[in-house]
Amino acid sequence: MALQTQVRPFRAMGGPCEIRVQAPPSMVRKACDAAIAEVQRLEQKYSRYREDSLLSRINAAAGGPRIAVDEETAALLDFASRAHAQSDGLFDPSSGILRQIWDFKLARVPTEQERAAVLARIGWSRLSWRRPELGLPAGMELDFGGFVKEYAADAAVAALRACGVVHGLVNLGGDISLVGPQHDGSAWQLGVRHPRRPGAAIAQLPLRRGALSSSGDYERYFVLDGRRYCHILNPRTGLPAQGFASVSVVAEQCLVAGAMSTVAMLMPPAAALAWLRQSGLPFLCVDAQGGILQGGPGPAAAAASRGAC
Amino acid sequence: MAATDGRRALQTLSSAALALPAYAGAPPAGTTLDYHFFHYAENDLPADRVAGSQRGRYDIDGHKLQAETPLGARYGLRADLTVETMSGASPWFVSPGQDGRPVQVMSGASIEDSREDLSVEVTRYDDERTLGLSLGHSQEDDYTATYVGFQYGFEPQGGQLNYGIGLSYSNDELEPTDGGSTQYPDRIIRASKDQLSLQASLTQILSANSLLQWGLSYARNTGYLSDPYKLVYADGNTAPDTRPDERNVGAWYLRWRRYFKPLAGAWHVDYRGTADDWEVQTTTVETHWVQRLAQRWRLSSGLRYYSQSQADFYAPYFEAAPANGLMSSDYRLSPYGAVSAMLQVNYSLQSFELGLGYEYYEADGSLALGNVSVENPGLLSFELINLRVAWRFD
Repeated sequence: MALQTQVRPFRAMGGPCEIRVQAPPSMVRKACDAAIAEVQRLEQKYSRYREDSLLSRINAAAGGPRIAVDEETAALLDFASRAHAQSDGLFDPSSGILRQIWDFKLARVPTEQERAAVLARIGWSRLSWRRPELGLPAGMELDFGGFVKEYAADAAVAALRACGVVHGLVNLGGDISLVGPQHDGSAWQLGVRHPRRPGAAIAQLPLRRGALSSSGDYERYFVLDGRRYCHILNPRTGLPAQGFASVSVVAEQCLVAGAMSTVAMLMPPAAALAWLRQSGLPFLCVDAQGGILQGGPGPAAAAASRGAC
Repeated sequence: MAATDGRRALQTLSSAALALPAYAGAPPAGTTLDYHFFHYAENDLPADRVAGSQRGRYDIDGHKLQAETPLGARYGLRADLTVETMSGASPWFVSPGQDGRPVQVMSGASIEDSREDLSVEVTRYDDERTLGLSLGHSQEDDYTATYVGFQYGFEPQGGQLNYGIGLSYSNDELEPTDGGSTQYPDRIIRASKDQLSLQASLTQILSANSLLQWGLSYARNTGYLSDPYKLVYADGNTAPDTRPDERNVGAWYLRWRRYFKPLAGAWHVDYRGTADDWEVQTTTVETHWVQRLAQRWRLSSGLRYYSQSQADFYAPYFEAAPANGLMSSDYRLSPYGAVSAMLQVNYSLQSFELGLGYEYYEADGSLALGNVSVENPGLLSFELINLRVAWRFD
């Protein structure tokens, strides 16, 4: 039976999202509802904009007593903790407060004093995380924005699977996690955004399983005196990423792909390439001139080069 | 950036991610098909250990096909089909040679047999639990086995411990070739035996790169546990191999795995011990080094040491039959030690994996942990070659 691809668009996590599934019509609606509910659950739980979110409660407790967190949050904190250690501090969920000095609408570069003041309040190693209790020093804040969208894509995939979906994908604003290949066994063609041409793809990546996550300097940025300042900020310097224009990574989990791509964005290009090659994961980097560098085993890299414009 | 390493980061992050609820208990992601061919060849016995000119032993050629596929979101199915053809001669009985040294008498005629074995396993995957049911059937000219098994696994989310228990039962029906014939009047016509087995295991995740597994098992065997094709030499004559109709075996094991990042290799160390009420105690120590080479190649080399003590009713031959009538001269119940060396090369290419392996095994009385005064002349040495092709379809 040939199954049509059913597309269910929705908005979540601050951007457009969609679910694509190939399943009997009777299954599609219920499965998509369950997947969207899962994304909304995580958005509510970890949003820094909602006062009632768990994250807001964690941040409100900064400087106060340690608070106990649930198992899912604990596992995310464990993940963040390992990502911080493995990235030499480039992955740091306490660095969200840098947005207080980087205003991309005003297009203003903060002064060194401003940066120093905020950097003093950043540092994963300064908070105390002893499962299941978290203690956040006064003035510090956690922001799960750097990985909760990726995790939500994987969680939505798990919800689709639980409803019996075998062929489909979840795309949360460019973070894509696959349920499985298309019903005829073929790969999904995933577009990698062109970092300099909005709406255009720079490469097509065929993927049958796993997940694709991209980080780029194109989402929010300003240009001042010929220099580009993007929203991916280095927790150690407080300055925007100056390496690749975008990094896309394929991994088994979107969560892992996202952490790998974010860290690679913050590294100088040569170090980022070495780090990605060591990982063995398929990846695709775009440099400031639009040049594509890719690597990793399997068909993804080869096909990516064929699909490049 | 010197302190960071992409490979290690990926491993650490992947294992941390697996603690999250979204990744718990998933059925196989795609269908895999795995084909194995193996050739097992027992080496000829040394001329000074056999009576007569028959020195050649057993050869087995085997084909094994294994398929694994998801069934919907919660179930996985696995099926195994094995077809083997055996030929050759096997040790028949041991008789005292000149100067009393035991010599092996081989079964004269060449045995030709084949075995087909089919097993099917269905597993249900829940968030923290897996539940598996397996059924199998095995058929030879003179032998039919049916078994059923049940496995339960519990992996608490975010925990460092995984638990597993299993229960299995098998029934074997024997109908030996030429049983009760004029040529072999002592050989039984038919018999059966049963095995009930319980297993428990505990896996401890020690770190992102190492784990330790502990296990205990108990098996109760009842029924006809003798070998209908074997004889013993007693009182200057031959008599059927006669063993107790019950055997209770306890086993315990420890498996340790550690991945060494700078070397891109993993070290495995396994220990296993057993003891039973036939007074056979065994010890197995095995170690492997698995080396990844240039992404696509995997080289695995290993050594195994084994030692066992003899069954209480074993002797190479009997001057006089014991009062309880229990006696066996089977080399598998004799005291001995053995070593094997293994080498395996695997090459993976996208959805294919190819493998080639070799094992050499040699048993000897002098390798036993205890002192073996009289070695069984039928101790084994063999070579095993295997070839593997696996496909994965997503």
